[in-house]
Amino acid sequence: MNYQFDFNFLSGNFGLLWDGLKVTLQLALVSNIVGLVLGFGLCLLTLSRWFFLRWPAQLFIEFFRCTPVLLQIVWFFYCVPMLFDVFIDPITMGVLALGLNLTAFNAEAYRAGVQAVPHEHLDASVALGLRPWQSTLYVILPQALRSAVPVLMTNGISILQQSALVAIVAVGDLMYVGKSIATEAYRPLETYSLIALIYFALSLPIAQFVQWLERRQDTALAR
Amino acid sequence: MNLDFTVVFSYWQALLQGLALTLVFTVGCAILGSLCGFVLSLLRASNSRWLSVPAGLYVELFRGTPLLIQLFWVFFCFPVVFGVDIPPYLSVLLALTLYMTAITSETFRGALKSIPGEQHDACVALGLASWNKTVFVVFPQALLRGIPPLLSNVVSLFKESALISSVGIADLMFVGQNISNSTARPVEFLSAVAVIYFLVAFPLTRLVGVIEARMLRRYAY
Amino acid sequence: MKASNLAAVPPRPLHACEKHNGEFIQLRDVYKSYGENLVVMDHLDLDMRADDRLVIIGPSGSGKSSLLRVMMGLESIQGGTIRFQGKPYIDGNARGKGKPMDNTLQTQVGMVFQHYTLFPHLSVLGNLILAPMKVHGLSKAQATEKARALLARLGLESKLNVYPSQLSGGQKQRVAIARALMLEPKLMLFDEVTSALDPEMVIEVQNVMLQLAEQKMAMIIVTHDMHFARHIATRVVFCANGKVVEQGHPDQLFTQPREPRTREFLEKVLHLD
Repeated sequence: MNYQFDFNFLSGNFGLLWDGLKVTLQLALVSNIVGLVLGFGLCLLTLSRWFFLRWPAQLFIEFFRCTPVLLQIVWFFYCVPMLFDVFIDPITMGVLALGLNLTAFNAEAYRAGVQAVPHEHLDASVALGLRPWQSTLYVILPQALRSAVPVLMTNGISILQQSALVAIVAVGDLMYVGKSIATEAYRPLETYSLIALIYFALSLPIAQFVQWLERRQDTALAR
Repeated sequence: MNLDFTVVFSYWQALLQGLALTLVFTVGCAILGSLCGFVLSLLRASNSRWLSVPAGLYVELFRGTPLLIQLFWVFFCFPVVFGVDIPPYLSVLLALTLYMTAITSETFRGALKSIPGEQHDACVALGLASWNKTVFVVFPQALLRGIPPLLSNVVSLFKESALISSVGIADLMFVGQNISNSTARPVEFLSAVAVIYFLVAFPLTRLVGVIEARMLRRYAY
Repeated sequence: MKASNLAAVPPRPLHACEKHNGEFIQLRDVYKSYGENLVVMDHLDLDMRADDRLVIIGPSGSGKSSLLRVMMGLESIQGGTIRFQGKPYIDGNARGKGKPMDNTLQTQVGMVFQHYTLFPHLSVLGNLILAPMKVHGLSKAQATEKARALLARLGLESKLNVYPSQLSGGQKQRVAIARALMLEPKLMLFDEVTSALDPEMVIEVQNVMLQLAEQKMAMIIVTHDMHFARHIATRVVFCANGKVVEQGHPDQLFTQPREPRTREFLEKVLHLD
């Protein structure tokens, strides 16, 4: 391989890269908040007793889980302004698209957590005379959340990776900036490698933490 | 603003061709990726650190970076690194396969781990040698337990394949975007594309659940 | 306790059930611990004759299961020696690895576990013929014939092509016993094989064990079922804290235990009947 590695050109672009990184972090963090909160609400809807609440919620989840994220983002960017005759700035639209996607996946994660709570705990709380809302709040919820946390965090990392897709609709995130620099300077190797490393550096600590968390839960369960 | 969904039908051929290409890439990379993923999971489970550590690193790398950047890296950097010109569809095939390998190796690893320890005890009690144990007891059970999550991985790959449109491959996403741009009807066409993806992914996802319930209950527990 | 369906007590050899009375198996000074604090076999001595049926009883964590697992080669010992059929079998001292040294000897031990551990992806026939074919080199036809005969003796011939998931707990355990018997072991180890079963299935498994006893199979049994222990054993061994506290003829040990520790345990465990 005869290729002159040259990382010097990157030094001139630190400012750009930093701006892109800020956008990426913004997208990832805000859509995570949206996804965590709304996902919980959506999960409650799917578990509700009323069919007319359950069914649309389920449809929402299935639609966001069975279509590509890229398509969801592109749809948002091109169709929402047209349909609703509004202008929303790109980053907010990105947050919306990613946030709603994460909402669907997190709703499933919460639901799995709730369903993983053994039946016996429900029985026990009835036997102890707890009212339904008490057993939900003090018995089911804590356990459901504990088992859901690793999945929620994994979903969170996944949204960080998916956020790179907004570059395709020209939102100035880290990916977009990287692509611009790479094409302008004719140096794809250094640039893309660096971008990949940055994403990796962002997600690896969280992924390791999730693994540690899961190991701890396994030993706790085994006891 | 007038929405007219009937225009979609006049382009059904182009959309179908896009879908066909998407499916070709999905199935091809699913098969290749699963095979490689199985081998990789064996490497990760190996006792030699020379094998298990790089294998583990590979998986972390491909799961910890966006698929888009993996795609771009293979597409733009591979020719530079290896000094050869790779046709676009091959780059895409390679990138998706590398990604799928990482994902499926995790699936197989989980399946291997889920086999109860007592199965290994039973093999010792019967005097089964290591090789026989792996081939006749561990491998079949790992495969059976791995099929439902593996199918989920394939469905994920089907969705992620939409990214190949960004490097100009004429898959369903690319075709849909093209038509929506040229007809200036994004709502109709992008929604139609969404429905098509949904109509493939949703039944498959349901199928995974059915397989899990029926087959596993019979042969795995 | 009802035992009207339990088969008759198989004959017991006339020799006295005293210590240091067997050359079939000899455990000397065997030591096993998990880490520093959990000693499960504390310089344990035990003998066994080829026509013995040892039943080991005792509180949890007293090393009962560990003894079986060590004999099977599933776990290692850190001290002491074990001889099997007059030959050195396991050496826990510095030079040995604490596991069976002789593969041939190891294959003459069969074990049945508490949780069936049948291979779920194979039919009953598949479960039975796998080891004979792969370990002893039998042809498929030979192994199938043998399996068929064995299942017939256990009353399970109709289940030949059925999968484990379709069997009841008692049937699964009986198949597990058959699977171990296919290799014609000289010693059978039973690790709480009825503890996980519904009561009505316990008898059918115990009857199979009694059938084996009739055929003079040497066995070491770990069980919580004291009635069955008294029924099948030629010698009962009471272990506590990794040591053999007392051993003797079942009738003697259950009615007139010599050691206070034994008495304490039996009082807690035996129900008045």
